[in-house]
Amino acid sequence: MLEIFEMEFMQRAWLAGLIMATICPIIGSFLVLRRQSLIGDGLGHIAFAGVAGGALGGYNPVLSAAIATVLGALAIERVRTRLSDAADMVLAIFFYSGMGLAVIFTGLNQEGGLNLSSILFGSLMTVSRQDLLVVILLAFLTILFVISTYHSLEYLTFDETCAKVAGLPVASLNLLLALLTALTVALSMRIVGLLLVSAMMVIPVACALQTAYSFKSTIYQSIAYGLATVAIGLTASYYINLAPGGTIVLTGTLLFLGSTFLKSKPKQAAGPCPVCENRPKMRYRLFGKRK
Amino acid sequence: MPIYEKHATPIIEVHNLGFDYGAGWIFHKLNLEIPEGDFAAVIGANGAGKSTLIKMLAHVIPPTTGTISYYGKPIEQFEQWDWVGYVPQNPAKQQQGFPISVEEVVKLGLLKPNKLWQRFGVAEKQKLEAALETFDLLELRNRRIGDLSGGQQQRVFLARAMVKEPKVLLLDEPATGIDPAAKIALYDMLRYINRKQNVTIVMVSHDLDLATLAAKSAICINHGICFRGDIHEALKHHHSGQQGFIYK
Repeated sequence: MLEIFEMEFMQRAWLAGLIMATICPIIGSFLVLRRQSLIGDGLGHIAFAGVAGGALGGYNPVLSAAIATVLGALAIERVRTRLSDAADMVLAIFFYSGMGLAVIFTGLNQEGGLNLSSILFGSLMTVSRQDLLVVILLAFLTILFVISTYHSLEYLTFDETCAKVAGLPVASLNLLLALLTALTVALSMRIVGLLLVSAMMVIPVACALQTAYSFKSTIYQSIAYGLATVAIGLTASYYINLAPGGTIVLTGTLLFLGSTFLKSKPKQAAGPCPVCENRPKMRYRLFGKRK
Repeated sequence: MPIYEKHATPIIEVHNLGFDYGAGWIFHKLNLEIPEGDFAAVIGANGAGKSTLIKMLAHVIPPTTGTISYYGKPIEQFEQWDWVGYVPQNPAKQQQGFPISVEEVVKLGLLKPNKLWQRFGVAEKQKLEAALETFDLLELRNRRIGDLSGGQQQRVFLARAMVKEPKVLLLDEPATGIDPAAKIALYDMLRYINRKQNVTIVMVSHDLDLATLAAKSAICINHGICFRGDIHEALKHHHSGQQGFIYK
């Protein structure tokens, strides 16, 4: 066995990292394509406020972060639907408010004990069995949700207005997606860090967008890019002795730069003859006449 | 001979409809009936509220005043949205870089209303294949929607609306951004859908001459309804420069 897989803590780090590399790009595909790339970051800051509030009140920080993030996600979703033209502005306001609250709570906490670095950058090398179980449960929930609502989520992401006209339960889908994003951020933050969760929701999807031609291929490719990012980043961090979170994020950035060279040029839209192309050969017989 | 049968059963009824963006009425006290099998072209001056009307019929925006009913049911209680196909204006333009293939876009039209968990079975796959073949999209099925020409994109969105075999089709300026030859092909297609498949169509158009190729009736909007009747009669009024018949 390779040295990098020999130690138990490294095995857990690999497993947690690879699971995160799978679920973050899945959720991220829907968020990035709906121009909500920064929602992971925004929710992360709210979770940060939750951790600081939990530490101040003497509650379990993971639980307080989860509650704060879920409430934050519901509030963002509500304001976003009311001010749909200013979604990025709404996100920024929540982002700063979360940060502001966190700073106030940290200042009020005389006892200290809040490790900022572990919240921002996580501690992939100290993942416990319990942490691993949480990540596995989260992955199961995410994959189950996306598989069972895949087509509805696809419609919502591509064209929310037409999805509404088609009678899809758009409000419920938006809410469920926001809740899942909030849970992913809150539960993974302590394990892999806020930076890594947010980055893994965006960078692999950005790479996939350079080469994917369909929605399904975007999701598959973003998972592949995510797995490659974690595998290369974790290996590099182990052998060069660098911080794993930061190395993984920078590996993702390098992969993104590489993927821009692979960007496929759009194929010629028209066929050989523009007149023929404009005159589609309709095969009417296939639709029956309605009485 | 008029082709507009105004006495057929109305499937869409609009009573005292009004819309105000907050800067005065776009239109108000608008009363309208769309009979079954009609192909109505909604015409009017820029800003008259043509697109607003079609969006209200599609339940995208709520009216400020008045009511809309489908098959005798108020729009708020109407649940058979799989009977209604909607193609917004320039649907692909806002999503030019979106990674979605032609097949995926058409497949979205098969989703059933009011259901969160949905899977496609054999029947849906057959409908998808039929729609791709009908709208001549088989060779384009794996192409990214943003890589297609305007005419091809419009065919894709029409296929998405038609794949569920709707009874009503709402179109917001379907010929915008496509070249003249593709426009004529599109109107041929719409004419066929209306005449042979008996789909009732309400279409916003800014080109009455072109709309005459397929539509049966015209609805001219100018703060309220300024004309409702046979499309050829509307064309006559337009060419004779009748006062009040403003749509350009």
